[in-house]
Amino acid sequence: MSLLAVKDVTVKFGGVVALENVSLDIEQGTIQGLIGPNGAGKTTLINVVSGLAPASSGRMNFDGHDGGPWPMAEAVRRGIVRTFQQSRAFLGMTVRENLTIAATAGIRRGEIGELIEPLGLAPVLDRIVGELPYSLVRRTGFALAMALRPRLLLLDEPAVGLTSAELSSMAGVIREWNRKGITILLVEHNIRFLMSLADRVAVLDRGHLLFEGTPEQCQQQQEVIDIYLGRRHQHVAH
Amino acid sequence: MRQRWKEWVVTCLILCISLLGARYCNDYWAYVGTLAALRAIMAVGYDVLLGYTGFLSMAHGTLFGIGAYACAILTANYHWSFWVAMPVASALTAAIGAMVGAVSFRATGFYFAVLTLGIGLIGFQIFTVSSATGGVQGFVGIPPLPRIAGLDAPPQRYALYVTLVMLAITYLAASAFVRSPLGGACKALREDTTLARSLGIRVGLARMSAFTFSSFFAGAAGALFASISSFIAPESFSVMGVGFDVVVFVIVGGMGTLWGPMLGAALLTFIPELLRVARTFSLLGYGIVLLVFIIFAPKGIAGLVSAATLTKLPRMFGRRHHAERNAPPSTP
Repeated sequence: MSLLAVKDVTVKFGGVVALENVSLDIEQGTIQGLIGPNGAGKTTLINVVSGLAPASSGRMNFDGHDGGPWPMAEAVRRGIVRTFQQSRAFLGMTVRENLTIAATAGIRRGEIGELIEPLGLAPVLDRIVGELPYSLVRRTGFALAMALRPRLLLLDEPAVGLTSAELSSMAGVIREWNRKGITILLVEHNIRFLMSLADRVAVLDRGHLLFEGTPEQCQQQQEVIDIYLGRRHQHVAH
Repeated sequence: MRQRWKEWVVTCLILCISLLGARYCNDYWAYVGTLAALRAIMAVGYDVLLGYTGFLSMAHGTLFGIGAYACAILTANYHWSFWVAMPVASALTAAIGAMVGAVSFRATGFYFAVLTLGIGLIGFQIFTVSSATGGVQGFVGIPPLPRIAGLDAPPQRYALYVTLVMLAITYLAASAFVRSPLGGACKALREDTTLARSLGIRVGLARMSAFTFSSFFAGAAGALFASISSFIAPESFSVMGVGFDVVVFVIVGGMGTLWGPMLGAALLTFIPELLRVARTFSLLGYGIVLLVFIIFAPKGIAGLVSAATLTKLPRMFGRRHHAERNAPPSTP
């Protein structure tokens, strides 16, 4: 059953078309990967789904309800929550204050304890976020999103800047969230990381949806290999 | 919850000590103390907007005036009791503040400040030409503060008691606001608006709440000022007078702390009075205090006190430094 259905979404910035008639269905309980070269429109699609940017045309259905895309506050109320490409948290506040704001300012309240354990934030709960190492700032950003109890979590390049050990830990955390029933849309440049997690993969190229299918199908799609993945990925896939 | 109880107890203790101290003031110092407490009420309310939400309003001098004129008109012309007129005047100021906010929040940063400056100037002009406010001649015949049965103190000292109690109420209300989900939303918006929006925070609601809250207490301070002064005139509410002073109180006291702006208001009321012995140089002294704070203590009095608490006091009591106790793990 599809949790999110994006239909014919077009986004124009003046004369530039960032997305053109993009349609995408995300099944409940899956991890949907989204890849594409720089400027393909991946973040624009996340911005539209999360309500950060308006669509020029098109519609969206979430959990059987038409009427989307919705403004951000409404999207969060419905359970659509996002993270950002650059690590984003309230840098002048402690980790605890960050999570308290997310849990109280948002619609759904969550227990701070169960959020911080898997993300390894417990030892730094009372530290100012701006003084923490990059990976912990990033994890605080994920904890903020999780504090809202999302049904659909939009992860915008969660692997950026992480070491290989942190990547493996991050992959485990994402799998655990998915096991708990959270549907995930994962935008990522690290193809190996994404392919190891995604149930299905969509490929965007210059604002158009080029392909949608399983990771295995994606790796064998000649058009995708030629236009986006290139010969290097063929090597990785084998 | 425990923290809140502690705050209530500490506030009540400080209030009791202040009230006891006020018993020994002569009329002159009781008047200066009342003025300082009135300014502190306004500064605490204003800190919710500037310190916690990050918006510099230049319309608060006018909002202070609206509270003052509303209370004056209700008590003098319509013979309302001050105890009814003050909350009504404050609520009216809050409603007008909400309208000012609705217009001003179309802009942010510098443009917000300029927009509120424009609205403040319009309000000030209305005070000077309206027959309801008495125009430039001012409003005379405002009834004095009504007496509470059993409190038999000279008028100046009585005004100080009432103002100190009102200040304590303002502080506790502001503290409750900044701890509430709305206060959290305001702090989040000040830090990162896009991130706050992504958490589902309603930007307009949070900002408007902060503006309305600060307007309410600007109105309450104005209402008290009118009844204590018995006479009010537009120059008491000018944008570059009280409207600018409240910004300075918050900056010198320490933004986003609530208690800092109270100290800022007190310091910047008492110092010029103490410097009256050298009247010619009083403005010079005021200016030097401002310069010293902005250059050497940009986080205000609250910043100085926090720095002293974090560094000197733990050493005095043989405790490790706060930062050492909370050191991050060696590997991220």
